[in-house]
Amino acid sequence: MKRLCVLVLGALAMSVPASAQIELTGSYVPLLYEDYIERGPGSDLGDFTGMAMSEEGRAKALLYTSNLPSTIERQCLAQAPWVGLYRPLGMRIWSEVDKDDDVVAWKIEGDYLRDTLTIWMDGRPEPSPNALSTAAGFSTGKWEGDTLTVRTTHVKTAWIRRGNGIPGSDQSTYTVHITRHDDLLTLLVIQEDPIYLTEPHVVSRTWKFDPRGNQGGRSICNTANEIPRLEDSGIVPHYLPGQNPEADFMTRTYNLPKEAALGFGESLYPEYRRKLKSLYTPPASCGRYCCGWIERQGLPGAAPGLACNDGGLGDLHPVVRSKSEEGKPAPAKK
Amino acid sequence: MLVVALSASVFAQGRGAPPAGRAGGPAPSARATAPFDPTGYWVAIVSEDWRWRMVTPAKGDVVSIPLSAEGLRVAEAWDPAKDEAAGEQCRAYGAPGLMRGPTRLHITWQDDTTLKVESDYGTQTRLLRFNGAGGAGEAGRAGAKTWQGLTSAQWVMAGGGRGRGAVRHGSIKSVTTQMRPGYLRKNGVPYSDRAVFTEYWDLHSEANGDQYLVDTNVVDDPVYLQTPWITALHFKKEKDGSKWDPTPCDARF
Repeated sequence: MKRLCVLVLGALAMSVPASAQIELTGSYVPLLYEDYIERGPGSDLGDFTGMAMSEEGRAKALLYTSNLPSTIERQCLAQAPWVGLYRPLGMRIWSEVDKDDDVVAWKIEGDYLRDTLTIWMDGRPEPSPNALSTAAGFSTGKWEGDTLTVRTTHVKTAWIRRGNGIPGSDQSTYTVHITRHDDLLTLLVIQEDPIYLTEPHVVSRTWKFDPRGNQGGRSICNTANEIPRLEDSGIVPHYLPGQNPEADFMTRTYNLPKEAALGFGESLYPEYRRKLKSLYTPPASCGRYCCGWIERQGLPGAAPGLACNDGGLGDLHPVVRSKSEEGKPAPAKK
Repeated sequence: MLVVALSASVFAQGRGAPPAGRAGGPAPSARATAPFDPTGYWVAIVSEDWRWRMVTPAKGDVVSIPLSAEGLRVAEAWDPAKDEAAGEQCRAYGAPGLMRGPTRLHITWQDDTTLKVESDYGTQTRLLRFNGAGGAGEAGRAGAKTWQGLTSAQWVMAGGGRGRGAVRHGSIKSVTTQMRPGYLRKNGVPYSDRAVFTEYWDLHSEANGDQYLVDTNVVDDPVYLQTPWITALHFKKEKDGSKWDPTPCDARF
């Protein structure tokens, strides 16, 4: 009887974990089914839709030119913790354990992370506010059911989103909820920035477990000069306030009211549509990136007989080709 | 034997199965076993895909959606006037399109086993049934097709339902079928009546009291999609319904 009791207690102990958690280890591919233009070919200039920017943030973003990342001092601004939300490649997650097999930290490597993200699980305190900001920041995690909740602080100044200059300060903090449902991994990322945002920037994204996935390992920030005339010149490429020719790009291209694209917080909520209704008319036709996932007209997988415009993806040359032209090299772009 | 039986009984509570009632009584209801409270008013924060969710994009703007050739052909043929004439202004308000819409949700328990999800955008009502009805079940196959279809739901308890204590965690998994053909996007990007809409609903509570409801969802349509369309949406809890603003279906804006 005594032996039976021990067995029963042992079985119960094994079946009732101290804290619920789920295995995250593995490689994940991003599912580019949201914000594809930004995450694939790259952001439209002047597209601050979906953002709640402060006046200072908006003013700084409108100084941006695409030459700015060519200066050595600014080449790493595109790389930040959690920037994978806006990148096309995947990530790899693994855990590190101590001698008792307890998880000390979760690690994440991925596209455009300047350093491995380390999420400490051992209860260590957050460093002093005056502690060094690093490329990966400082992250701690705790399990809330099957969700790993992460807080990241001590980050460097970096752009939010991808390639159009939306600034994020080194006072940004992130709360991230990582939840896995079967093979799907969903991240809810809440970025707060007292300098450049008027309210938290909230994004939810989904990845899929895929051992053959394109993980996109840690990126080393390349600080080579890309434009010779800028070298040792002291020139900082920029537009002067009020002179950014791309400030109305979204209006010219998609008929959006200018204000709607410039990152005002009210534009995030359904009631903003009352303003939009009288100001917006859809473009007569789709002008850029209109092919969805069937861009390669005339090539395998294309939609027969449908014309589309790839928005300048170059080599894909999505023109409708005759049968006899299939398989031939694409003509040079004009 | 006893060891196996005890272990099995503990594990059996996992992955959606509500715990059995004590002393052979009826199992507690879905409402009683809820690991989180989904009720209240929620607002979509349109911080992603803004240009495709807040306004109607141009015809043919299907970017991000893995349409099949047939799906692209149908999207290119979109004609809102035709939908209006046919009384089908609500095509973009079926469950998959509705959840991506610029909407507020009002979630309540209709009864102990049915979660009611109302939208002010298009004034739609979804019913998540935790009693086995709807979805791919026998009852689901028998009914007429509607914009919101039939949705079967289950609680998925954290840790497979194991563990004890006051704090419980989990999520909702729901599967919707029996939908009328509709639009994934306002500009006529189609899904067919064979589409299956699977959702995972998670609640996240922040230290400052904010709450977010995240809907990870999968649209699987063998007719108009090359591969399942998988996205995540997030809603923020509001303190009351003061911003609730019911609007009718609109085929154009």
